[in-house]
Formats: sequence, C-alpha cells, structure tokens
Amino acid sequence: MEPARNEPNEPYVDPELYDIVYSWYDADLAFYVDAARAAEGPVLEAACGTGRVLLPTLEAGVDIDGFDLEPAMVEHLRAKAARRGFQPRVWVGDMRGFTAPRRYALVTIPFRAFMHLLTTDEQLRCLGSIRETLRPGGTLVMNLFYPSFAIITERDGRRVREREFRHPETGAPVVLWDTPRYDRVSQTLRSEREVEFDDEGGAMRDVRRYSFTLRWTFRFEMELLLRAAGFSRWQVWGGFDRRPLERDTDEMVWAAWRD
Amino acid sequence: MSGFASEARRLGARDAAGGAPAVPSPYDAPELYDLMFDALDFDLPFWLDVARGARGPVLEVGCGTGRVLLRLLAAGIDADGVDLSAPMLERLRHKAAAQGLRASVRTGDMRGFAMPRRYARAICAFNAFAHCETIEDQLNALRCIREHLVPGGALVLHMSYPSASLWIDPSGAPVLELESKHPVTGNTLQLWDTRDKNVVGQFQRSEVEVREVDAKGRIVDSQRFETNQRWVYRYELELLLRLSGYTRWEILGGFAGEPLLRDDQQMISWGWKD
Repeated sequence: MEPARNEPNEPYVDPELYDIVYSWYDADLAFYVDAARAAEGPVLEAACGTGRVLLPTLEAGVDIDGFDLEPAMVEHLRAKAARRGFQPRVWVGDMRGFTAPRRYALVTIPFRAFMHLLTTDEQLRCLGSIRETLRPGGTLVMNLFYPSFAIITERDGRRVREREFRHPETGAPVVLWDTPRYDRVSQTLRSEREVEFDDEGGAMRDVRRYSFTLRWTFRFEMELLLRAAGFSRWQVWGGFDRRPLERDTDEMVWAAWRD
Repeated sequence: MSGFASEARRLGARDAAGGAPAVPSPYDAPELYDLMFDALDFDLPFWLDVARGARGPVLEVGCGTGRVLLRLLAAGIDADGVDLSAPMLERLRHKAAAQGLRASVRTGDMRGFAMPRRYARAICAFNAFAHCETIEDQLNALRCIREHLVPGGALVLHMSYPSASLWIDPSGAPVLELESKHPVTGNTLQLWDTRDKNVVGQFQRSEVEVREVDAKGRIVDSQRFETNQRWVYRYELELLLRLSGYTRWEILGGFAGEPLLRDDQQMISWGWKD
C-alpha cells in the first residue's frame, strides 16, 4: 500500500487555508445532513476533513463519527468541534483500508473525496472497507464529478479564474485560480491552484499555492467497482436534488446498499 | 486507416442484441457490408501474428463475413468462427468455398454460445464487443469466451477508445462518412451516418443510409440500417475482465503493442485464463 500521507503541497496540510478556500461551498450540505438524519443508526464520514459537513451534522443531532488521512485536518476539526461544545469520535485513518470501532447504518464520502483514490485497487480497498463497516442493510452515499468532455478539452492546461469570494473573517476579496491538466486515458486531473488574497482595491497582498490529483470514474465503471466490492444494489443521480444522471456536466451522486 | 476504419467502426460488425428491429441491421445485407468493409486490412497483420503465436486453435467471436477469419484460414491457421448473423455466415461460407477453404463456423450469440472445442486464443476484432449494450451482456460474453479457452489461453479484444471528440461532435446531422465505387455498376456508394449519442450512457445509435449515386448525381438506390454501439473505457474494461474470471490482463494502445496514452488510439486488450 502507498504510504498513508498527503503530499506536502496538498491543501490538507494547511487546515486554516483549506477552510478559507472552501468557505463559500455549501451546495451539498443539506443533502448530506438530510441523509444522515434519515439513517436508522450511527453515521460515519470518510475523509471528513475539518468538519465542513460533519459539524453541521452533529448540530442536527446525528450520531456521526469521522476519519481523515491528514492529522492536521482532524486536529482542526476537534478544535472547531470543542468550540461548539462537541467531542466527536474522529480519528486519523486511510480510506484505502480502515477499521472502525462500530458498525454504521450510513457511510458517506462527501465532496468528491473518493476521487483521491488513483487506482482501481485503491478504489476497491476503500469500497471493501466501507462495506465491512456497514451494518446489513446499510448505505454508502458519495458524490463525484462526471468528466465533462467540453471542459476537459477547453480548459486543459489553461489558467482560469475559478472563483472569487470574500475572506470569511476579514471580508477582503480572495481569487481562486486553477490550472487543470487532464489525462483522458488514465482518467486523472492534476490541478494546480493559486489562492490570491487581495485588498479592497484589488491589489494582490499574498498568494498561496497548492495542488492535487483526482481520478475520475465513469458511470458504468463505478457500477462495476460496487459490484466487485460486494455491494448488492446501487443507484446514481445527476445532482443533489436526485434528478436523473443525463449530462456529462452533472454531479454523480451515488447510493449503494449492503444487503 | 483512420477515416475508413472509423466509418467502418460505426457500421460495426455484428449485432449482439438479437431480435428483429423495424430497420434492418447492416448484417442483414452481407453483400453491401462487404462492398463497404471487406477491403479493410489495417488490422490483418496483427490478427495473423496473434493467431500464429497461439500454439493452438483460434476462435473468432463475431467473425461476420470472414474478413479476418478467411485470412487466417488462408494462412493455414486452425481457426473457427461464431457470429450472431446467419446471413453473414452464409456469405462467409460462400466466400470460403470460392477460395477452396474449409470454414468451421456456427451461428451463436457472443453472450452465450457453444463451440465443440477449446481454444488457445479467442479474438474479437473491429469493435464487435461494442454490440454488448449492457454490463450483463458484457459479462456474459466475456465469461462465455473464457469458458471456451484452454488454461493458459487468452482473449484478445480490439475496441476503439472512446475519444473526447466522439462525444463533443454534434449529434443528429447526417454526415457523409465514406464513398466508394460499386464494382459492378460503377456508381458511387455513399455512406451517410446520423449519430445519436448518449455520453453518460456511453452509447451511440447510428442511422446509416447507403446511397448508390449515378454519374449524374441521381440516387438510384438507398438502403437504411440501424446499429448501436456501447463504448468502453480502459479501467472499465479491466473491471469487466476481473469480474468475468480472467486472472491477468493487459491493455495496449494499438496493433504494434504500443502503450495506451491518448484517447484517439485503438485499445487492444489481452485477458488470460490461468
């Protein structure tokens, strides 16, 4: 197995920066909190990060545990939880092969974290571990992007202004730049990112850089992975509103059941 | 090869779906099929190499009118064939007889056929596997082929890799894909293809019209066909081989054994039964 570490330039080694970069994102929150509330038993979040989803789920009264590969992220989550009066059971663990202290009715992998698994073997080890940690009748829920061929061909190697938003504490402008490189045959995206901190006049004060690699998975490929990992039923949607998967710009939202 | 082969690819090689569609498949018109495709030879050296290296009998799954199989037989290779289409096989037998070759071929669905022997190599050429439209079709075909291999035998499968441009090029407009000369009438044969593509379904439905056009540009004959193709990606194919019991596999990017690095390459897959 690969060493259970993040590369030093991945975003997860700097939880404060991570929380700023994704402070604007909440499109998946209601979906995952609702799924957790509907679960008939405890919930486990794989790759829980700094608790963007896990903490609101706790606040919704759900019995949820979590793990993440990056110790700094887990520490940051614990500190944020403590400030809100929670002491969740969270630990450092690797999706590619983990054990959990109990069995769960629901395991979630939000925010495309499954895409950090770069090989079929890593994907199967992850799905196998999740299946083992689910109660009979339990559910896996996760989301991944579907590869848009228009985006892959148009954006490959180009530096694009991905998003502009306000710093969650200072209110100053932040610009997120992205230079993606797509390998269409190995199904990987290498993303070089720059976080540009500006002042009110638009002048750049600071730039932070990070990068990561994601592996995309096609729809039928995922069905084969779930089948190979021993899941007995599955369903895919084209978004968090559970519409059908129809376009290659849709988000793939998956549910799979252990019978 | 590229232009001609890509048209041929869309017409496909055989129809695994069975049944009788309202519009015929290209395999219902074997003579016309051969006018379009029998001259294709871009893959023949590869299949001859595979068959010669087999050290045992070879089975071609989806042998059609024998474009590949008859060349193997002519080279002295011990090869059998199976195909869903009785009219295609009838033409194959006719061509074999005309060449003085003995062809042992049977009608059968690649998802569940029975041949009397076991083979050192099973080959599936020219995107025939794209006629398996569902995961169940694909797994049934791969399992059935594996059952027909001797221990140590291998399946060799050729599929075009589904490129980004396949999905980005617009659907719905008829495209003149191919022109050739009719050997008897001397008229021009035009192959018009109207494609309807479902990117997340990895599915392509082609309405094909073959027009015979005389010297004055008048359409003197027209035949319409429909054919479907389900495209497969690399890791998806590895999972299919894994789930259908193959113990080892290797995915290559062309007939010269080159690595698969770009999405405009041909995908050659080996799956071994240990």
